[in-house]
Amino acid sequence: MTNDALDPLIHVPTRLRIVATLAALDDGDTLSFTRLQDMIGLTPGNLIIHLRKLEDADYVCSEKTGNGAASKTTVALTSRGHAALDAYTRALRDLLGGL
Amino acid sequence: MNGTRGTSQAGTAGDGLDPQQAATLLEQTKLQARRQLEPSPPWLLVMRAALVLAACGSAWLSVRGQHPYTGPTFAAILVVVPLLVVNFAVTVAVAKRATTGVHGRSRLRPAEIIVMTVAWVAVFVVMGVLASAGLNDAIVYGWYPVTVPLIVAGLAWAGVMGTRAHWRAVGTALAVAVVGAAGLFAGPVGAWAVAGIGLCATLLVSAAAIAWLQHA
Repeated sequence: MTNDALDPLIHVPTRLRIVATLAALDDGDTLSFTRLQDMIGLTPGNLIIHLRKLEDADYVCSEKTGNGAASKTTVALTSRGHAALDAYTRALRDLLGGL
Repeated sequence: MNGTRGTSQAGTAGDGLDPQQAATLLEQTKLQARRQLEPSPPWLLVMRAALVLAACGSAWLSVRGQHPYTGPTFAAILVVVPLLVVNFAVTVAVAKRATTGVHGRSRLRPAEIIVMTVAWVAVFVVMGVLASAGLNDAIVYGWYPVTVPLIVAGLAWAGVMGTRAHWRAVGTALAVAVVGAAGLFAGPVGAWAVAGIGLCATLLVSAAAIAWLQHA
């Protein structure tokens, strides 16, 4: 088995950290954009770029409420995102012979 | 095929990330996220275990030689109250920090908050009624405050957590109720010791369980 087995969308340090962080939420929970940014330590622009890629793949869903300065964006891992992270973890285990 | 195809497709940020590094990063991030999002971290539960042992221990020492039983002395209450205030303040501060920005199912629903509030208020209203009815101090200030609130609040919390299928919390809540029930058999003096030791043990086991789950 080679690194090709690893999902290229997740196999990027920043996106791996985003997905792993969102996976730590309880089922049915979402995380605010600002808290996620704080936990990952990214600039807003950088985080938006990575979240957009994950959203395009349906790994992450986001919801924006309110307008202007009062607007809040929350993000969560989708079931497809959870499945992708599980598959990525299994692939890593296979590559390393047990994580 | 080569080992970097995936990373180069994914973008520049992934270049050079080998499987071992990815595995380490994944484990570290999961652990860090679980710690940051945990409203009851193990260190807090250990601190609460020490505080509850000190509070109930102080009360037990003050009532140990009383004949007849009159309840914890003013000096013991001066020890217990600050410990309860510290416990409450630290718990709220830690929970607030952990749950900032978290929305959804894990937040308590209004109905659940009402159930817990009613449970807590009811036990102390009943205690006031018993005191005003002139019931024995050994019951009003001995048995009752360290047994009934634990039983009622423990069962109420177990019910709330049961509806969420949060079985670890159900186990902890039932353990609290069992500690309260055990106190009923220990007498007004022994109930304080049972509550102190029982709650301390429950909190330490809960801390160990959370620490284990965070690393799982």
